[in-house]
Amino acid sequence: MANSQAVISLYDEPMWESIRAHDWKLQQCDDCSEFRYPPAANCPHCLSMDYHWKPLKGRGTILSWVIYHRQYFDNFPPPYNVVAVQLDEGPIVMSNLVGPEPEGNWVGLKVEICYGEDVAIGTVPKMRLIQQSA
Amino acid sequence: MAIAKSLSRVAAVIGIGESDYVGDHARVRAGERPHDSYGYAAIAFNKALKDAGIERDDIDGLIVGPTIAYERMGELLGINPTWGSQADAMLSVIEACMAIQTGMAEVVALVYGNDQRSAAIQYGGPEAMGGNMFLSYIYHAPWGFTSQGALYAMMFQRFMALTGCTEAQLGEVAVAQRLHASLNPHALMKKLITIEDYMASRYICEPLHLFDYCLINDGGVALIITSSDYAKRNAKKKPVLIHGVGRYDANKGATSLEPRLLDFYRPAQERCAEQVFNMAGLGPKDIDAVQIYDSFSCHVPLALEGYGYCATGDVGRFMAEEGISLKGKLPVNTGGGHLSETYMQGWNHQVEAVRQVRGEGGGRQVENCRFVHYNSDVAGKAVSIIYGS
Repeated sequence: MANSQAVISLYDEPMWESIRAHDWKLQQCDDCSEFRYPPAANCPHCLSMDYHWKPLKGRGTILSWVIYHRQYFDNFPPPYNVVAVQLDEGPIVMSNLVGPEPEGNWVGLKVEICYGEDVAIGTVPKMRLIQQSA
Repeated sequence: MAIAKSLSRVAAVIGIGESDYVGDHARVRAGERPHDSYGYAAIAFNKALKDAGIERDDIDGLIVGPTIAYERMGELLGINPTWGSQADAMLSVIEACMAIQTGMAEVVALVYGNDQRSAAIQYGGPEAMGGNMFLSYIYHAPWGFTSQGALYAMMFQRFMALTGCTEAQLGEVAVAQRLHASLNPHALMKKLITIEDYMASRYICEPLHLFDYCLINDGGVALIITSSDYAKRNAKKKPVLIHGVGRYDANKGATSLEPRLLDFYRPAQERCAEQVFNMAGLGPKDIDAVQIYDSFSCHVPLALEGYGYCATGDVGRFMAEEGISLKGKLPVNTGGGHLSETYMQGWNHQVEAVRQVRGEGGGRQVENCRFVHYNSDVAGKAVSIIYGS
């Protein structure tokens, strides 16, 4: 086995740099304002090549989740969760929910971005539940 | 959307061949490496020629599967075709029809071999297969998200949360296909299981259990597809006509799993269904058995809804009450599928469809089987084929 690794294309490197600075940025299209993920040369929505890096507001909603019971990577001993989160900006990202795991259905729960340290990758964006205000 | 109709009944399957899944699996588990991918493919090709009753030199088109190199396979089979290609199981059938329709070739051999078990191919973790083709297979590794099973687990968890379908209802897939495998001499897993066995089995990536995952084994498959006219003149057995084909790909947002999580592939399956049923002049009610690409069990419920075999949101009840086994209303994966027969990446489903239409299903034969509908949605590529007499 081995540790997991990030895919680093030409366009991923600036994103991971922003993550290391605890200020996760994604590309926003200069022409149609859509955010894209994973990072890429062009906007899949309007095909524009023009973009800027924009910090995320840091909030999203859980679309789904899984719990791993089998080990695939040295740096991920089971059990551990993975959540699919739709960011308020639109893109869907995979992450891990840190802190106590909710009972029952996780779909629709609101989360916010936080940052964790991974032995192999360094700083990695994670998610934590937003306390539901009464 | 323009509905292509011109490929209906243009081509027919006249030959099928498979390697000895059961014998080879026993040898592999004993530490042997019986053949490489080319060897398994050659075994299947020889059997398919014999089944068709034609000679190697009658072949003028060659399609090889994705796990073997086109030129080397052609070299080993001694075939210099007028037309050739490399494609997965479902697309190779469609491509063969297109080549025959356009006159590029008349007798096409489709050949697949895979030594994935003896070569210890990994589908998850640091050496995950397929990452060069599908970025979603490797992109989320920094969060421990790996293996294609997990992608389907993520998809099906949400499906259950939104529709009320349960794990026990999903278990109907593994239980039904194991019953079919128990009646299939070519199947690897013949021991019957119950819903209780399923629920008691360990999770791999929750909510998916061990029994929701396909087998990993060595083997080869070949098909001979030719024009309907050539088939009538030359085939040893009754030709099995290809009545319709369909395809629609959901690529937008694929790496972020958008087509899976937001749509459950439904729009792709609906477009594909429209094409295949219109081309064949048939509908779900005309179909006697369904074959569904089942690298993971949850392909089955998603496809049954997507292709119109049951109402939206009703598939859990449909599987549990109406039934998807040979004893139920709609027999699905009658050979045992990838879960219990053999993991030949869709190729074994084509062979099973042909066997059922020919009436060669033995103890698992569907009565009066006229039409078999194959479909797959591997990574959002919805593909359909209807075989019939």
